[in-house]
Amino acid sequence: MKIAGTQTLPLSRECAYRAMQNPDVLVQCMPGCESLEATGAQEYAMKMKMALAAISGQFQGKVKIADAAPPERFKLIVEGTGKIGFMKGEGALELTEAGEASTQVTYEGDVQVGGTIAAVGQRLIDTTAKMMIRKFFDKLVEVTAGMR
Amino acid sequence: MATTAAPPATGKLVGKRLRRKEDPRLITGTATYVDDIKLPGMHHACIVRSPYAAARIKSIDAKAALETPGVVAVYTGADTKEVGPVPCGASLPGLRVPHHYILATDRVYFVGHPVAVVVAGDKYVARDAADSIEVDYDVLPAAADPEKALTPGAPAVHPEWPDNTAFTYHQEGGDIAQAFAEADVIVKQRITSQRLIPTPMETRGVVADWKPGDKALTLYSSTQIPHLLRSLVAGMLGLAENKTRVVTPEVGGGFGCKLNVYAEEALMSFVSMKLGKPVKWIESRRENYVATIHGRGHVDYLEIAAKKDGTILGLKLKLIQDLGAYHQLLTPVIPTLSVLMMPGLYRFRNVTADIVGVFTNCVPTDAYRGAGRPEATHAIERMVDMLAAELKLDPADIRLKNFIQPEEFPFATATGLTYDSGQYDLPLRKALEIGGYAALRAEQQTARVAGKLMGIGIATYGEICAFGPSPATPAGGWESATVKVDPDGKVTVLTGSCHHGQGEETTFAQIAADELGIGLDDVVVFRGDTAIVQYGIGTFGSRGTAVGGPALYYALQNLKKKLKRYGESALGSDDVRYEAGQCICNKTGKTASLAQLAGASYRALKLPPDEEPGMQTTFFWEPPNFTFPFGAHLVVTEIDRDTGRIEIKRYVAVDDCGKIINPLIVDGQVHGGVAQGLGQALYEQVVYDDNGQLLSGELTDYAIPKATMMPWVESHHTETPSPVNPLGVKGVGEAGTIGCSPAVVNSVVDALSSLGVRHLDMPLTPEKIWNVIQQGARA
Repeated sequence: MKIAGTQTLPLSRECAYRAMQNPDVLVQCMPGCESLEATGAQEYAMKMKMALAAISGQFQGKVKIADAAPPERFKLIVEGTGKIGFMKGEGALELTEAGEASTQVTYEGDVQVGGTIAAVGQRLIDTTAKMMIRKFFDKLVEVTAGMR
Repeated sequence: MATTAAPPATGKLVGKRLRRKEDPRLITGTATYVDDIKLPGMHHACIVRSPYAAARIKSIDAKAALETPGVVAVYTGADTKEVGPVPCGASLPGLRVPHHYILATDRVYFVGHPVAVVVAGDKYVARDAADSIEVDYDVLPAAADPEKALTPGAPAVHPEWPDNTAFTYHQEGGDIAQAFAEADVIVKQRITSQRLIPTPMETRGVVADWKPGDKALTLYSSTQIPHLLRSLVAGMLGLAENKTRVVTPEVGGGFGCKLNVYAEEALMSFVSMKLGKPVKWIESRRENYVATIHGRGHVDYLEIAAKKDGTILGLKLKLIQDLGAYHQLLTPVIPTLSVLMMPGLYRFRNVTADIVGVFTNCVPTDAYRGAGRPEATHAIERMVDMLAAELKLDPADIRLKNFIQPEEFPFATATGLTYDSGQYDLPLRKALEIGGYAALRAEQQTARVAGKLMGIGIATYGEICAFGPSPATPAGGWESATVKVDPDGKVTVLTGSCHHGQGEETTFAQIAADELGIGLDDVVVFRGDTAIVQYGIGTFGSRGTAVGGPALYYALQNLKKKLKRYGESALGSDDVRYEAGQCICNKTGKTASLAQLAGASYRALKLPPDEEPGMQTTFFWEPPNFTFPFGAHLVVTEIDRDTGRIEIKRYVAVDDCGKIINPLIVDGQVHGGVAQGLGQALYEQVVYDDNGQLLSGELTDYAIPKATMMPWVESHHTETPSPVNPLGVKGVGEAGTIGCSPAVVNSVVDALSSLGVRHLDMPLTPEKIWNVIQQGARA
């Protein structure tokens, strides 16, 4: 499934970029994320809980940041497996300045799911993904309020 | 009308519209299904299945599961390697048969592939523990679409066969080149019969009970073929058949998907043998969708050649069959049935067909109600309609013109069959008359002027039933029956055709009661326990009554001979007849009742010469041919321009299934068949994504028709008795499904023909129809 969109953050580009690379920030912002631990340079082990329609379950996975070109763009690779299936996603994020203390984030990516989530939740994946992205950015704005 | 009162003892019961003897327990919830079986010390199994369509198994860590309190064992493919493979009963020249382990060993081949089994005292403990098993997969690219799987460079489902081709099969008859050379018109079309999920109300279930002291296995399974299952599972486990007993309790729907031997049947037996405990596994609905066979999965490329006057000359077919990852019991056979059925009811004798059986990383396909015949009928009936449209002929007329005529029977088809009997125009003419065809066409004209989209669709079908002569049936095609009269004169029929919803508990009682001149309630029909019932083949391919019925008939004839000999002995005369439940001396008029004769046979004080005690006969009947029922369905539809919704205004079904034993049951079979045909025509489709993930994985995403979606089926019949068997019966279990989908699609295409629509592939969802209407509006 393809996902794409834009989001404006009330942060300077440098600040936004830093926030989105900061595991302490990400753990708070990613919906359902329970822990994010560094396992290498720009690689993290992640535990998250996901609910989709009638199914929910814990995922264990990896988050990797690649092709980093601060503060303009980076690639986010997420992989998780759990009792209700697996997910794999890759997204390219681009940050452009949109005035003073305002940054526009443009994202584009592809998400694959499998197992029970695919069999049962296919109809809701699209809306769930969009909702999770919205929640992520809303929370990011909230968490970074003091960093402005 | 149906009656519940027992008819008079000597009344003729065959042909009566009687309610089913089996229904009271079914509709009061007192029947016993596999999941109702509870044995002392019984454990529960949960199966871990692959979430990937293609992957290497790097490791399996069951430590946490084994440490879970209540869990007694976990087995993986390494433990079960020695169990024989899941059997494929098909033999086609050059068929590639992958070794189908009951648990995956080093690699998984489809989403749902069983990888491990967890056993616990409690089913919820087993289920939770299954979640804690860590399987490390190395994910591989998958091939999910049969046509894409055939393209060079597609991922190989089985690495040893990179072209994904399990077999190719060619059949031809007549002179196809000449037929096409002489043709005035050739119509070509690609037609699909999409993958379907059989969806019985009761999923599969198994209880295996190994008795270590006896070294004997009892296997309870929701199956259509208890004896074949016994033979094959015993073979997989290296057990003797006389130490292996299969019991089939009530079966909540088979439709072909339980005409199989599944990994779980051997796996539960293996587990029970390891633990010395009974073990139960009940398939969940989601599991059913990835673990039980799917049906159909055809892509057909067709060409039909004809004269200007509509005379069909020949048909070419290239059939791409999506097999899935493995061959189940009959997987590769199913498309060959489609080829056999290609000529339909028509006289042309020039055909050529090529099948490519394709492996995909999907659930195996196999027999589903109709099994190859709905696909063939859909294709030919669509082609005939397209030909009629091309030649501007009426779809009824073109069919009547091409039917095999009554005087041409027995008719040898171009595909090697011999049609037994038929008067193919009768059901069509009857359907046209009941539907009021001429008036419907006039109504359609008026409706079109008013901007309405009204369609009239006709499909005529023939099918192969009564599977079948043994040389043409993988495991033997005969059937067996035992008739026992107990000392009190009450009768028990043991049938090898393990009916499971087809109503033989009633129809066989009707046959036996009529032959013996007794009441319906004096007869009990029993099936489904290999320790009690003589070997039998089972119920599938509309064979229950058409092959099992004659076996019973002949067993009854032998029983009547025996009764007569006891009658001669009892009445002291050699001039006796058996009639109306008693032996009567033709000279003296003295009588001996069935109970008296049976009692005498067991007391055995005075045995007739060369006669053994007891009153029991068994007959194994080998059918000399298939039977070929036929019929015509007429469907009137109206389409909502704004939403694309199809409303079925009329559904007229005229089916000729030979002699009808119980019209109520025959109508029920037609209605059920039509429901599943409508499912294919309008609603159901299995959707896999490119990675082999099943997206239509539960009933919210896989649309089977509900009661509210069913039209009123005007069910009618013509009766052309089959000369193949003494009952004149032909079979009706699959007829509704076979006649339905082409009639519905022909009707919808007819409705949309004014927009330039020539063909639509199933299912005809509102979205698809709405898009067609939008395009038509723009054009």
